[in-house]
Amino acid sequence: MAMKYLDKYPKNLAKSLWIMKPVWTAFKLFCKTVVHRPVTVLYPYEKEWIPENYRGRPGLRFDKCVGCGMCVRMCVTQAIKLIEVDDDNGNKVMRPQINIGRCAFCGYCAEYCPVDAMTVTPEYELAEYTRYDLLYGPRRLHYENTTPGMEVKLEVTLPSDIANGNPERRVHIFDVDKPELTDSKCIGCKKCSKVCPVNAVTMVEKGTNDKGKPIIRPEFDNAKCISCKNCVDACPKDALQIKEVL
Amino acid sequence: MADSLVPVLEAQEKMDTDKMWVIWGPQHPFSHGLWTLKLQIDGEFCTDADPIVGYLHRGWEKETENRDYARIIPMTDRLCYCASMTYSHLYCMTVEKALGIDIPEKAKYIRIVADEVCRIQSHLMWLAAVGTDMGNLTVFLWAMREREYFLDLNVKLCGQRMTTNYPRIGGVRNDTTPLFDRDIIRAVDRFEKAMWDIIYLIDDSSVFVSRMRKISYLTREQCANMGLTGPAMRGCGVDFDIRRDDPYDNYDKIDFEVPVLNKDTKVGDTYDRYMIRIEEMFQSCDIIRQAVKKIEALGKNAPYRIKTPTKVPAGTTFGRLEDPRGESIMYLASDGTDHPYRLKVRSPIFTNVSCSKVMCQGVRIADVPAVLAQIDMCLGETDR
Amino acid sequence: MVQYSSILDWINFSDPNANPFTPFLSDNLPYDICYGLWEIIGGALAWLINLLFPDNVVSAWLLDERTMVMFALVLFMLVIFIVAFVVVLLNLWMERKVLGRLMDRRGTMIGMKGFLQCVADGLKTFMKENTIPSKVDKMTYMWCVSLIVGLSCFVACMVPLSDRWYVVNYDTGLLIIMAFYALAPFFILVSGWAQNNKYSLIGGLRAAELMISYEVPMLIIIATVSLLAGSFNINDIVNLQSEIWLIIPMCLGFIVFFFCAIAECERPPFDIAEAETELVEGWQTEYAGMKWGLIMLADYLRGSVSCGMVAIMFLGGWTIPFIGGTALPEIVFLIKAWFVFFLMILVRGAIARVRPDQILNIGWKVFMPLAVFNLAIAVMLKVGGFY
Repeated sequence: MAMKYLDKYPKNLAKSLWIMKPVWTAFKLFCKTVVHRPVTVLYPYEKEWIPENYRGRPGLRFDKCVGCGMCVRMCVTQAIKLIEVDDDNGNKVMRPQINIGRCAFCGYCAEYCPVDAMTVTPEYELAEYTRYDLLYGPRRLHYENTTPGMEVKLEVTLPSDIANGNPERRVHIFDVDKPELTDSKCIGCKKCSKVCPVNAVTMVEKGTNDKGKPIIRPEFDNAKCISCKNCVDACPKDALQIKEVL
Repeated sequence: MADSLVPVLEAQEKMDTDKMWVIWGPQHPFSHGLWTLKLQIDGEFCTDADPIVGYLHRGWEKETENRDYARIIPMTDRLCYCASMTYSHLYCMTVEKALGIDIPEKAKYIRIVADEVCRIQSHLMWLAAVGTDMGNLTVFLWAMREREYFLDLNVKLCGQRMTTNYPRIGGVRNDTTPLFDRDIIRAVDRFEKAMWDIIYLIDDSSVFVSRMRKISYLTREQCANMGLTGPAMRGCGVDFDIRRDDPYDNYDKIDFEVPVLNKDTKVGDTYDRYMIRIEEMFQSCDIIRQAVKKIEALGKNAPYRIKTPTKVPAGTTFGRLEDPRGESIMYLASDGTDHPYRLKVRSPIFTNVSCSKVMCQGVRIADVPAVLAQIDMCLGETDR
Repeated sequence: MVQYSSILDWINFSDPNANPFTPFLSDNLPYDICYGLWEIIGGALAWLINLLFPDNVVSAWLLDERTMVMFALVLFMLVIFIVAFVVVLLNLWMERKVLGRLMDRRGTMIGMKGFLQCVADGLKTFMKENTIPSKVDKMTYMWCVSLIVGLSCFVACMVPLSDRWYVVNYDTGLLIIMAFYALAPFFILVSGWAQNNKYSLIGGLRAAELMISYEVPMLIIIATVSLLAGSFNINDIVNLQSEIWLIIPMCLGFIVFFFCAIAECERPPFDIAEAETELVEGWQTEYAGMKWGLIMLADYLRGSVSCGMVAIMFLGGWTIPFIGGTALPEIVFLIKAWFVFFLMILVRGAIARVRPDQILNIGWKVFMPLAVFNLAIAVMLKVGGFY
């Protein structure tokens, strides 16, 4: 490998006639930009092309969202809050509301969304007159021209898969992390089933205890579970743990 | 340095003049950010300098202690907007080291590409600053124009221009987008041609060269004693680059040269420090070409991100990498939970700025911007 | 011509038309225009007043020859200044556009291809608060602005646009212009001292440093040119170049004078007195609002004078070789001056600011020998009978 620049410079300045070469270089560019247009983009009238995966404001597909709160958990600046809204059928559901004034545009909410309801959108002109206008409710977060390219896929590979010689990518690998119950700690308070956004937790009676009262224990439907860790957080006795599959 | 001090000493012998402190900053056109340089001037010469930093302190290191590991990555982008990619790379590398995992090959090469794009755009930002510090806006705008092409590459790769948020613990955020290989080769080829225009403007101009030549000499020993790192150090004859001497992330599988000047004389001036960075941009182009070829050879479906545990085992880890401006180090103390116990950042500029006391001695007032432009200031990472 | 011994000879005439030194007797186009203009305006006024109050004194006064001359002179002053002002605005617009294109951007974009940006800037500076720092020396602080701006306007109006568009045409024209031109750096030095600011002080001292480095070679070049022409009269210098421009025998002199002219109007790359990366705005640091706007205007006025002097001394002024005079010699002159300004913009765009000690070196070690060498060439040409 050779040095492209250091081999040529420094050189004798008299050859470039002291300042004639820079003046000539500048003049060449002047002629070029007079004939063609300068590279500047006249911003409000012209806009640059931006790719699909451009990280503008977050977008939300209302129907897909399950209200798991993964975006709230991952948000770097705590810009997201879950609020109660009516869905299309008039039921009360929890959906994220984003304060764009706090948003860092990191795209974590879209990346970690287990159902790909959150997307990034190419919308970046977000100035408003008041701070209140910067609050984007769940309906306002909707972006019409959402394309599949705006979803941020979480394609990770398990280290064990690589060790086995099968390095396939899996979409939403965090799905393989499932909650595990420590039976001795559980008091059967049903909090986990209440907070589960996809109703993957069902409370099942498993016999009776010494006093004759029924023992209720949660049972997890692994097909439905999106590993949002809400049950782990809600558990008052730390009986639930996420088992990480690596 | 010794040579440039001679006129000062002579002047001191001849007449007894008062010395004056001139305070540059925190809001001064020469300072790229909020910092203050107290200059003691004797007539036209600087006899002493005192940098004051800390105007941009935001408690970065403390704030990381309250976050889990994944959510620190966007914060590392905000350390410095020019070196966002290298800082998040460094952070992810340190955590991976603590976890004891090895990331996929493809991720390593993508990180190399992203790092070198970051290095080029950071050096172009520096070149722009050199232009304005020397009083020429043309260099500023031409360098900024070239930088745009690399920021566009960032947009194509990870969706954002400067706060990239791209490396992840265990790989990178997303695979290369479909036409990224073609785009980056085009951009690099274009850049190598367009760069010569800026070089003609600076290196063929006797004004630029004579303003940077023969001022602010630094010896090799001074570099070592003051902890000066990066291109400024290599301009003074220290042949050291972490990419080559302590390779991380497959840099050892890539053939590139580290530009070093004044290996024999062991003394470098401002112009040497300038030349190193220009050559580094050309070397980065070579590295990008090689790395893109390796990515293509790995195939489209190769894994680029592996799953990592959320909790880092207790212990301390030390990671370092070659930032565009020098050697940045992160020191991670973990206590077995999902958030760090302590994360210490060693910013190259913090130590490089402290050298301004020595670098400014004996130069004229008009030379001070030219000398300090070679530090490539960024206050975001200095004050943290 | 009549020899005059005192300035009183020139002004002490009860009837201006009887003054043999009046510049307005013949072939002064702006004066003729103004006189004609006042004949219409004053005549209409007198007629109107006479209509309302027949046989009144005011109408008779307005129609008197001496009154007409006085009002024509007032209009004449306005016309001369407005033309110089518009030329400067065009210079400013050209600098912004050309510099923009040179840097691969567009330059100003507001109205009339960006020309109205000057107007917007002027309005903006006029609307700003007139702040005066409490610890400045107020009298010198204010007077320096007036003197710098006034001198620059004065010199800009003194530059003739053609042999029929001038204020006064007399034998020491070139010398007078250069003398007033060189006055402004003194006031820069004084205002740098008056502002009680370290940046301003260094800026003012640098202005003095700059002046001693370029002034001597510049004056030698002027002496060379007038030596060839045998006169300091601008008309004579222009007529000398009716066949061959002085730039051809004196290309060295042209280069030296061009760079000295850039230094004279403190444009980059010789703007060390206001080097913004070192000294925030140099000697202008404490001036805000309208004062700063006027100082910038003065800078550009001096820039246009520089270009005009280069055009007069080296590019044949308002004549075209072999054709001589044209129908619109003013336009020919302005095009030449704008071309010189374009070269200045190119130099500004291409090279960096020069260090103060380097300017001293260039001035005394490069420009000075070149100027003397150029003088030797001129003497040889003169002795050889070419001029």
